[in-house]
Amino acid sequence: MSAGPYNYSYIFKYIIIGDMGVGKSCLLHQFTEKKFMADCPHTIGVEFGTRIIEVAGQKIKLQIWDTAGQERFRAVTRSYYRGAAGALLVYDITRRSTYNHLSSWLSDARNLTNPNTVIFLIGNKSDLEAQRDVTYEEAKQFAEENELLFIEASAKTGDNVEDAFLETAKKIYQNIQDGSLDLNAAESGVQHKPLQPGRSQPQNTPNPTKEGCAC
Amino acid sequence: MLPSFKANKFSGSDSEPLTSTAAETDSSNNCHDAIPAHLNQKADSELSSPDVTAHRSSIATGGATPIAARESVVRYQMALRETAYTDLRQITIFLGTYNVNGQPPTSGLADWLSIDKDPPDIYAVGFQELDLSKEAFLFNETPREEEWYRAVFRGLHPKGKYRKVKLVRLVGMMLIVFIQEKHWAYVRSVASEVVGTGLMGKMGNKGGVAIRFDLHNSSICFVNSHLAAHTEEVERRNQDYLDICNRLVFSTTFPSKSIKDHDQVFWIGDLNYRLSGDLDLLRVKELLDQNNHQALLQYDQFRAQHAAHKIFIGYQEGPIQFRPSYKYDPGTDNWDTSEKNRAPAWCDRCLWKGDNVQVKDYRSHPGLRMSDHKPVSCFLECGVKIIDTVRYRKIYEEVMKKLDKLENEFLPQVSVDSTEINFGKVSFNEGATKVLTVANTGQVPVQYEFIKKHRDSNYCKPWLACEPYTGFLMPGDNSYITLEVLVDKRTAWSLNSGLDELYDILVLHLDGGKDIFITVSGQYQKSCFGCSIEALIQMHQPISQVPPETVCQYEKAAYPSVDPGNDSDSKQPVLAVPKELWFILDELYRRGMDTPGLFEQPGLSSEIAAIRRTLDDSLPDTLPGSVHSVAESLLIFLETLKEPIIPFGLTQKALDGCTAFASCKMVYTSLPLSHQHVFKHIISFLKEVLLHSNKNGLDAKTLVALFGSAMIRLPPPKYPLGSSISLSQNQPHLDRKRTTFIHHFLVNDLDD
Repeated sequence: MSAGPYNYSYIFKYIIIGDMGVGKSCLLHQFTEKKFMADCPHTIGVEFGTRIIEVAGQKIKLQIWDTAGQERFRAVTRSYYRGAAGALLVYDITRRSTYNHLSSWLSDARNLTNPNTVIFLIGNKSDLEAQRDVTYEEAKQFAEENELLFIEASAKTGDNVEDAFLETAKKIYQNIQDGSLDLNAAESGVQHKPLQPGRSQPQNTPNPTKEGCAC
Repeated sequence: MLPSFKANKFSGSDSEPLTSTAAETDSSNNCHDAIPAHLNQKADSELSSPDVTAHRSSIATGGATPIAARESVVRYQMALRETAYTDLRQITIFLGTYNVNGQPPTSGLADWLSIDKDPPDIYAVGFQELDLSKEAFLFNETPREEEWYRAVFRGLHPKGKYRKVKLVRLVGMMLIVFIQEKHWAYVRSVASEVVGTGLMGKMGNKGGVAIRFDLHNSSICFVNSHLAAHTEEVERRNQDYLDICNRLVFSTTFPSKSIKDHDQVFWIGDLNYRLSGDLDLLRVKELLDQNNHQALLQYDQFRAQHAAHKIFIGYQEGPIQFRPSYKYDPGTDNWDTSEKNRAPAWCDRCLWKGDNVQVKDYRSHPGLRMSDHKPVSCFLECGVKIIDTVRYRKIYEEVMKKLDKLENEFLPQVSVDSTEINFGKVSFNEGATKVLTVANTGQVPVQYEFIKKHRDSNYCKPWLACEPYTGFLMPGDNSYITLEVLVDKRTAWSLNSGLDELYDILVLHLDGGKDIFITVSGQYQKSCFGCSIEALIQMHQPISQVPPETVCQYEKAAYPSVDPGNDSDSKQPVLAVPKELWFILDELYRRGMDTPGLFEQPGLSSEIAAIRRTLDDSLPDTLPGSVHSVAESLLIFLETLKEPIIPFGLTQKALDGCTAFASCKMVYTSLPLSHQHVFKHIISFLKEVLLHSNKNGLDAKTLVALFGSAMIRLPPPKYPLGSSISLSQNQPHLDRKRTTFIHHFLVNDLDD
């Protein structure tokens, strides 16, 4: 339980990228509001969302940039890749074209972010099994070949959405812990909130009664 | 020099005389993850303010203050819902106070500390006049601290296993708190403080010492005080009490707390309130002999002051059913027989404030005869708030989720009436405007701004402008941004040549929030204005009838420096001069030579536009508009040529050599053939104009000044010039040179 001055000790910047209509904004909305946004309009610009999560007892604030997927905005949305600690690369399992475009998105992500940026591949719309156009196996293989984390999720049912965001954060946190992500690097995408002197440390385990109480 | 005891913590609390049992108690090392101490902060005034919106809104910005604001909101929300995740558990507390009159512990203290059947969960034992020596007073040093600490430790209830929470001492005032081992894991944020109210309002012979900690989710504070002596000093005692309340602040906790900021406060000590002086000593003793305490208590100064709300407001005390604890002949149970002959009084008291406290027993202990006081104790039952982990987690998650939601809701939000702005057909030099409405549909003020895209030098293309490009919007307000498209001589050529198009994506950025992309587009109507001579002479048709790709192709091929890869091999016969130039000159030859004010009177912009459209759309026999409009069109035409008649590459040479006709003529001969033709046409035209100067009123000087600046232009800032060329000319100097250059050709014959 944080008795410190902040509710969180890190800020991670995420971007969500992928073709138009794959459900990027719906994933964000499902993650921040736990609701499915039917009739979500196309994103004309870059939406912004935030949520505080917990990884290994650390409170982490996610700042998520959800980019427009339309091809004509591609040149503009590229400016948002810089300084992302995590990139959620989304395709639609019912539309093969969105899967076919992954390598182009991936090369943008690789070129425009830092080498430690965690890229998580999400096959969205897993609830539409009947219309499936991309198999789990081939996407899994694509992910492995490109060293991406991978999950199929549904922004509609909420299935695996939480996991995708949290697993990304865990991986980033792990990179911080093992030193491969340098927080001082200009574009690490992570801000660390230093603790202020004279105030107590945030506690790791917020479980007041885990030590046996004999009274 | 006298030490100030408020400033220096001479409490000696870190000494550990009984190393076998007493454990380290310093709060900073207390890493038990028990209860969030801050949850008790009900009374945080900032948070109880109804104006929560103010800092809620600031949460969204993600800056520095919002973090603290969010922390406060969490604390406040959790405190509000405390009862939903805490249960009360009863614990017992033993409060003991003893003015030992400077005596060492010569007998055991069990008769005071452990006469109850069950061991209390917490002991808070306070002493006064622990040491009356000068050393203690001046240097706060005394061997008695350890002697009494050991005596207390030995006297604790044998059925309980205790751990010292903290010991604090200021001169003769000492407070020790013990807690049963089994509760230790739930003790957090232990802190102690002292306040001296003695000599000069700070010396430590009078005052108070205090220890606070959180047990589970309850904050508990113990205070031991020794207030001013003597029957008549009631006001002084009251003042001491108020001083302690005001000055005692636990600064090591976050946020810092004073005595009142605790769920439960237990205040013990030699408060020194006496029986009112009106009462005759004999009468006192008579009543005491009858055990008529109630009659005597009517004269108790403490009760009177308390009833008058002068001190200890909100504090309670158990019923007094014991003899006054003061003053005895030491070693006896006899009232004071010294020459001072002090009246008996209930100097030593135990009080408490807060919910869920019940007194079980309140008594004195006459069997302890070391001092002129008898020790007093109070046995209490006290409800402590214990967190139910499961419910706590649930509510904490709810609060966090609510805040996340709020935070997202309080992000800046605007809507725009359109993200696609099409200007339709856009013509050269004809500005067009559209209004973009930005509405603040969110709940917080918004600072918006059009921002540059990565690598761009400006937020929009040069043919576009937004006014205002940045602004501030209160919730519910609208902003109207005027977008203006204007293709002028700076930008026409890049649109003619296809290097640019009327298409731009603006990024409307909300400070601390999202970005909106506004797409601006239009169809530029290619015009003969803003072309190059090389391209124009290839067009036999009006430019509007030439396919746009062809125009681009001509333009890109026009000057190898622009697109060196593409040599024009499709040589169709070219015109000697651009036909548009010929039409304009022809019109002026026919209509304008004798017009007074020729080239001096400005044309009408509507007519100039009509002339341009006529030239773009047709091969006209005549041009519309007045002679002045035609004349101005000529100058504009020359001025908007992609490369001026004297191309940028020869500008320096022309200016440098302007004094001699020979060198000017050399510049002329180095012109591309098409430029030579145009130059020659213009010069002939100017000569003709001057022949009519008696009618049109023009003189050579004016004419060459006008045409000089249209024909010889300085290169645009990024023009790739040769290394040796410097064009740092001041304007009048430059104008003179241009004029001189052109003038040579008016007075000399080109064919000489």
